[in-house]
Amino acid sequence: MASRTIQVEIKRQSTPDHSSVTEKFEVPYRPNMNITSLLGEIALNPTTVDGKATTPITYDSNCLEEICGSCAMLINGKARMACSALVDKLEQPIKLAPLSKFPVVRDLAVDRSVLFENLKKVKAWVPIDGTYDLGSGPRQFPQLQEELYPLSNCISCTICMEVCPQFNDATGFVGAATIAQVKLFNDNPTGRVLKEERLRALAGDGGIQECGYAQNCVAACPKQLPLTEAISDVGRDVVIQQVKDFFVR
Amino acid sequence: MATAAPPAPTKIRGVQPLRAGVGHSFFWRRLHSLSGIVPIGAFLIEHIVSNYETMNGPLAYAQQVKFLNALPLVRVLEWGLIFIPLAFHALYGVFIAFRGRVNVDVYPWAGNYAYVMQRVTGLIAFAYIIQHIWRQRFAGVSLPENPAMAFHKVQVELANPWMLAIYVIAMIATTWHFAYGIWLFAAKWGITPGDRARRRSGYVCTAFGAALCVMGLLSIYAVAFKPEYRNAPIPNMSSQPAGVVEPAPTSVTPGTTNPTQPGEVR
Ligand code: SF4
Ligand code: FES
Repeated sequence: MASRTIQVEIKRQSTPDHSSVTEKFEVPYRPNMNITSLLGEIALNPTTVDGKATTPITYDSNCLEEICGSCAMLINGKARMACSALVDKLEQPIKLAPLSKFPVVRDLAVDRSVLFENLKKVKAWVPIDGTYDLGSGPRQFPQLQEELYPLSNCISCTICMEVCPQFNDATGFVGAATIAQVKLFNDNPTGRVLKEERLRALAGDGGIQECGYAQNCVAACPKQLPLTEAISDVGRDVVIQQVKDFFVR
Repeated sequence: MATAAPPAPTKIRGVQPLRAGVGHSFFWRRLHSLSGIVPIGAFLIEHIVSNYETMNGPLAYAQQVKFLNALPLVRVLEWGLIFIPLAFHALYGVFIAFRGRVNVDVYPWAGNYAYVMQRVTGLIAFAYIIQHIWRQRFAGVSLPENPAMAFHKVQVELANPWMLAIYVIAMIATTWHFAYGIWLFAAKWGITPGDRARRRSGYVCTAFGAALCVMGLLSIYAVAFKPEYRNAPIPNMSSQPAGVVEPAPTSVTPGTTNPTQPGEVR
C-alpha cells in the first residue's frame, strides 16, 4: 500500500477567453484529504502524470470549513464545496471542473458576481444608515429568530444557481439564494421597511416567476437552507404585492 | 470583454442579473400557471367526466354532447374558455419549456425528473390536442349539429390501433401534466410552502390525477373494446340542431342516464 495514489483530472483554462484543456495528476495518498488539500498538494509539485511541468491550479477558497462559500466547483460533475468534499468518499479518478454557469476567471475560479448584483437589486440588507443615531432596533422574539436563522446561513456559494435548470442565459433567473434573502430581510423587523421594494424587484424579468420548482436548489444547498419554502412564501407575497399595486398604485 | 482592460463597470459576462421591476414576464408566467387550473383544468375535468358517459353507451354519450352544445352562448364559451386560453397556455408553455437547461443526467432527483416530465407531457399534450381538435371538432361530421354521431365518430377513430395508442399515451400524459400542474400551482403561489404541506398536496394531486386518468382510460375502453357497444347503431336523435329539444319520447330509452325524463336532458 506504500505507493497508493489519488488520480485527479482537472479542467483548466488559463484566461477567461482561452479554450479549456484537461490535465491529469497523480498525488500520493494520504487519509482524510479534502479537495482543497488535494489542490494544495498539487501546488507543491505541479507536474502532470506524463511528467510535464505545469502551473499550480487556481481556485477560490478561504475558510476551509464550508462557511465562506468561495470554493464551489464541479466535483465528479456535481456542484459541491471543495473544502467539505472528502477525497476518501469520492470515486477516482476525481474529476474537477469550474462551475458551468459562471464565467471562468482561471482554472477552477469563476466570477460569481451575478449573485452579488442580484442581492443588491433586491436590497438584501437591513437599512440602518441615518444622519443621527437610530437607537436600538425593535425586539425580535425567539420564535422569529428561529424561523429566520436557517435563512441567514446562506454562504453565497451559488450552488443553488448552478444546479437550477432555470438559471441560464435565456431566462436570467435570479436564483434561489436571492429569493431566500428576500424572505430573511422582509421578515426582519427593521428590514421589512423595504419589503415592497424587494417584492417589486422580484417581479421583474428574471424574477421569481422563472422558478420551475425542480427543487434541485434545496437538495444541493450545502447549508440546507429551506429554499423551496422561501420561494413559495415569497411567491405568494409577490403576487399579493402585484395585485395591490395594480389596484392601489 | 477586453482581456487586459482595467476593471470597468461593463456588462458582466454569463447569466445577467435580475432586471428588478422591469418587464411583464411575471404577469404572463403567472397567467400561464393560473390558466392551466382555470379554465383549462376545469374544462379537462368536464371533458373527462363527460366522456365517462361512454360507459353508458352511445345514447347516453350523445345526450351529454347535446347537453353541452345546448349551453347558452356555447360558441362563446368554447372560444373564450377553451380555445383561446388553451392556445395561450400551449404556446407560452412551449416557450417556457425550451428556455430550461435540463440537467437530470447530473442531478437525477425526483423533483428534477418531475420538472422535465412536466415539459415532456406538456409537449405531448400539445401535439395530441392539435390533431384531436382538428379531427374530432372541425373535420368530419360536426358533432354540435349531430350529437348522436359522437360515439360512432370516436369509435371509428379508435379502430385504428395507432390512434388508440396515441389516445392512451395522451390521456396519461395530460392527466399527469394537470395533476402535477395543480401541485406546482399550490407550491408556487404560496399555498403549500411547508415541506409537509407539499408532501400532502402531492398525495392529493396523485390520487386526483390517477382518478382522472383511470376515468379517461375507461372511456377509451368503453368506446374501443366494450363488447355491447361494438358496432352499436347510431342512436335515434340525429339531425337535431343544437339547443332545440323535440317532444320527449314517452317510453324510456334503453340505457338512458335519466329515466325519469326520457329524451329530455335539461
Ligand atoms: S442558498 Fe445554499 S446553495 Fe444557495 S448560495 Fe446560499 S448556501 Fe449556497
Ligand atoms: S473554503 Fe470556505 S466554503 Fe470552502
